[in-house]
Amino acid sequence: MAPFELVAPESVDAAVATLRAAGGALPLAGGTDLLPDLDAGRVDPRRVVSLRRLPWRTLDWTGDSLVVGATLPLRRLEADPDVRRRFPGLYAAVRAVGSVALRHRATLGGNLARAAPASDLIPVLLALDAEVEVVGPAGARTVPVDAFVLGSRRTDLGPADLIRSVRLPESRPSAYLWQRVRPSNDISQVAVAVAYSPSRRDWRVAMGGVPPRATLLSGAADALEGPRPDDGSIRRSAERAAREAALVADKRASEEYRRRLLGTLLARATRATVAVEAP
Amino acid sequence: MTGGPLSWTVNGRARAVTGVPDDERLLDSLRWRLGLKGTKEGCRSGECGACTVLVDGETTLSCLTLAREVDGASITTIEGVGSDPDGAAVRRAFEAAAAVQCGYCTPGFVMSLTGLLRERGRSVPPEEIAEELGGNLCRCTGYVAIVRAVARALSEPP
Ligand code: FES
Ligand code: FES
Repeated sequence: MAPFELVAPESVDAAVATLRAAGGALPLAGGTDLLPDLDAGRVDPRRVVSLRRLPWRTLDWTGDSLVVGATLPLRRLEADPDVRRRFPGLYAAVRAVGSVALRHRATLGGNLARAAPASDLIPVLLALDAEVEVVGPAGARTVPVDAFVLGSRRTDLGPADLIRSVRLPESRPSAYLWQRVRPSNDISQVAVAVAYSPSRRDWRVAMGGVPPRATLLSGAADALEGPRPDDGSIRRSAERAAREAALVADKRASEEYRRRLLGTLLARATRATVAVEAP
Repeated sequence: MTGGPLSWTVNGRARAVTGVPDDERLLDSLRWRLGLKGTKEGCRSGECGACTVLVDGETTLSCLTLAREVDGASITTIEGVGSDPDGAAVRRAFEAAAAVQCGYCTPGFVMSLTGLLRERGRSVPPEEIAEELGGNLCRCTGYVAIVRAVARALSEPP
């Protein structure tokens, strides 16, 4: 690992200015994804800008919407009983990230900004219509998560932009299910996030675990009718998902295996969502 | 680059640690600067839990933590865990259940379980325990005895 300079600015403005000034600077939140990449030489910054002094370890409820500060450790998110009750899909997705000790440092902002193709959080953020609040040299802006994640390890963030927080506009019955070769320390072959929006009265279905990025499956979502879709509706949704999803083969799974997993997980996640008491 | 000295409270003792480069991991500072070699390096990539310590009471992977990021923190390692009532109970449970084969994973398990007791008390639902400790791998695969030790620690009053 090439030596870098570590700086920890005291304010958001100073952090943005530091990122802007130093070519080849990278922000550091929990570091659980960045440090292995530094070790492997996949990134080689001259300066690393720690966000540890920024006031972003926050969890703010307004009615049934939630704003999660970018540097809040994931373990704090899962420990909040309201998160578990009102966003069961998010709770399940957070629990799918690494181990407890890793989640004491890993953050929602870091997971989004690093945009790993197998991120466990991006599918559920898609299903919840999350909005990413970004600050940077041009000021603040809000980007829907679907427009924020551009591809594998690619996002809408400019070089001096930072994620400040992530907004979840409404509590939704939801579920997140995944399949892995080894549950505790592998990434998913396929993952499915499902959520029902009480205000829009429609469903969101998102697939993860398949490179290059998590995607919304709108055909599968449209096939789910009403808050309690019947078995026929769930079956049609699973069939449409298998047809519309862009699946690939890699060392973790063949394309055909992924197709079958997708349908199975989608049906189970939908039934789990229906079983959730309205928040 | 190397900044000024770091000040930690390690196992209850104030320690000033000098000469720590910006890219040094907490794991290496503990083992090589402070000589606390009970904290083990397994994978160095966040997958095995052998390097687990408590930072301000929270289980932390010292291989994935920059030393400078936790400047000012209170750190507990396996060497000091016995002076914590929960840690002492966990240690007794591991001994009583003979949950140690080669012992390489043991410090990590003891720290993870101690952290769990501190964080969630003794009322963790049984179906959540495997997931709570799933970040610790035992390469000797002695899990049956480890599970017994966990059950013992959870049922024993501190
Ligand atoms: S050495 Fe830190 S998790 Fe394996
Ligand atoms: S006792 Fe040998 S690694 Fe667990």
